[in-house]
Amino acid sequence: MPLFRSLEFKLASLPFALLACALVPGIACATLGEPEVSVQTDVANLHASIKSSADRSGYKVHEIQLATGTMLREFIGADGKVFAVAWNGPTKPDLRQALGKYFDTMASAPRAKFHNRKHMRIQQGDLIVEGSGHMRALTGRAYLASAIPGGVNLGDLH
Amino acid sequence: MAAMRALRIGFAVILCLSAIACGGGGGTTSGGGGSSSGGGNPPPATANTASVVVDAGPMGDNVNTLFTSVTVCAPGSTTNCQTIDHIQVDTGSYGLRILAPVLTTLTLPVETLANGNSLAECTQFLDGFSWGPVALADVKIAGETASSVPVQVIGDSRFPNIPSGCSGTGGTQEDTVSEFGANGILGIGPFELDCGDCDVNMEGLYYACSGTTCTGTLVPAALQVPNPVTHFAADNNGIIIDMPAVAATGAVTLSGSLIFGIDTQSDNQSGTQTVLTVDGNANLLMTFNGQTLADSFIDSGSNGIFFADSSIATCTNTQISTFYCPGNTLTLGLSIQGNNGVMANNLTFNVGDTQTMLSTAPTDTFNVLPQLAGTLPAGNDASFDYGLAFFYGRRVAVAVEGSQTSVGTGPYIAF
Repeated sequence: MPLFRSLEFKLASLPFALLACALVPGIACATLGEPEVSVQTDVANLHASIKSSADRSGYKVHEIQLATGTMLREFIGADGKVFAVAWNGPTKPDLRQALGKYFDTMASAPRAKFHNRKHMRIQQGDLIVEGSGHMRALTGRAYLASAIPGGVNLGDLH
Repeated sequence: MAAMRALRIGFAVILCLSAIACGGGGGTTSGGGGSSSGGGNPPPATANTASVVVDAGPMGDNVNTLFTSVTVCAPGSTTNCQTIDHIQVDTGSYGLRILAPVLTTLTLPVETLANGNSLAECTQFLDGFSWGPVALADVKIAGETASSVPVQVIGDSRFPNIPSGCSGTGGTQEDTVSEFGANGILGIGPFELDCGDCDVNMEGLYYACSGTTCTGTLVPAALQVPNPVTHFAADNNGIIIDMPAVAATGAVTLSGSLIFGIDTQSDNQSGTQTVLTVDGNANLLMTFNGQTLADSFIDSGSNGIFFADSSIATCTNTQISTFYCPGNTLTLGLSIQGNNGVMANNLTFNVGDTQTMLSTAPTDTFNVLPQLAGTLPAGNDASFDYGLAFFYGRRVAVAVEGSQTSVGTGPYIAF
């Protein structure tokens, strides 16, 4: 948590990094595995607004505030493609939108032994979807294992 | 495997007959309001106490899952009722939800909004979703009654079209007993409603249906699905789950009590327990292995102890690859801090070898596995989910938000 909080502080203290990607052509928040394009379409489909965008070491993060109160974060690598999405809040985001073609990959995963309503982990090919939480407080993320940029700590993808 | 399952079902039936108000072959009984109870051990249900049991569940494949029986009646009726067994007892959710196929003789009236539309809900769980209408029922557990309370009927054939915004939340469609793993779920966590914001600005959960077309909607709080305990005429400020201790390796079944009310009767008095208030997300702060995990929770609805520890081997068997297989049993330390700053220090828990549990007698027939532990995502927002095993050998109180007891104001968890 301390790391998380210090990171938030850093974002807040660096206004030049807080680029509202909805307002800046060429900066976009898009779908897992897809190029960073057409944020307006995505944001409109998600009934969302862009809270902030920031550069981290080796990748970019766009924060999308959903009308439901849930925060969706999309992580974009140097190649301009989304390699991870993460969410936390009272409900899950529309993962059909956020995962794009990988939504069907997630759906095709067999159900785990001793599955449980409070957590999950799916590994289906290159796709990993995992999370934990209970009613009114759900946290999760999806990423493409082979697309994680070198040096990126999985723990920062939240 | 089939023989093992048959054995488990056999045990479950024996236990069902002896310890808990159960239904007939179809899983339910009809007629006559109120609950019934058998003799034997544990004591029969009293006015504010329902029997609960950990067993294999309706599909015979559950572990560490706590069940009770609930009687639902058409509002105002004492004869148009059904008693449903194997309703999961869940302190990690809010509201009573019943799988439609087990309501064999009872049709509950669906709630309508001011514009005449029917109300339905897309309940979101971390691993999936459940879709179905919100109906009104008189809910009776032990001697308590919640009159004309909204409940969700999951998988109701009258509402066949799942909106894309609901299915798009992903995971398993948990709309059958088989997929749900229970005949229903009794959400009795520390909040009153299943949605904090659905009356003002959140349209992701509730839907207004005209015919079979459903659209996301806001909904007044009074129409939302509540923790039914908060609608009891008495004993409505919380619950106590009282479970006996179990052998370290587990047991086939384990029976205990679900007591309604805190400091309202002679049998639910507070003592000298530790009172930890929960935060606005019903979470606690747990410290494990030097990590401070702010989004942690104690949850009767979780079937294991879940946390991230990369130093513990996970199982090589791909079916259980998210569970821990340390070889020898580990004893680990944990502390829990409430939102009020109160600490429960120096707790310990055991992590057993999951593969050994599942492949070695006698634990391979056990439905109670206190040492079953698995992984959660590591990271800066990591969580510790202390599941039903926390309740074994403890008397755990869950006070509803805003309610007063002799030791504090909810929302809190005390043990």
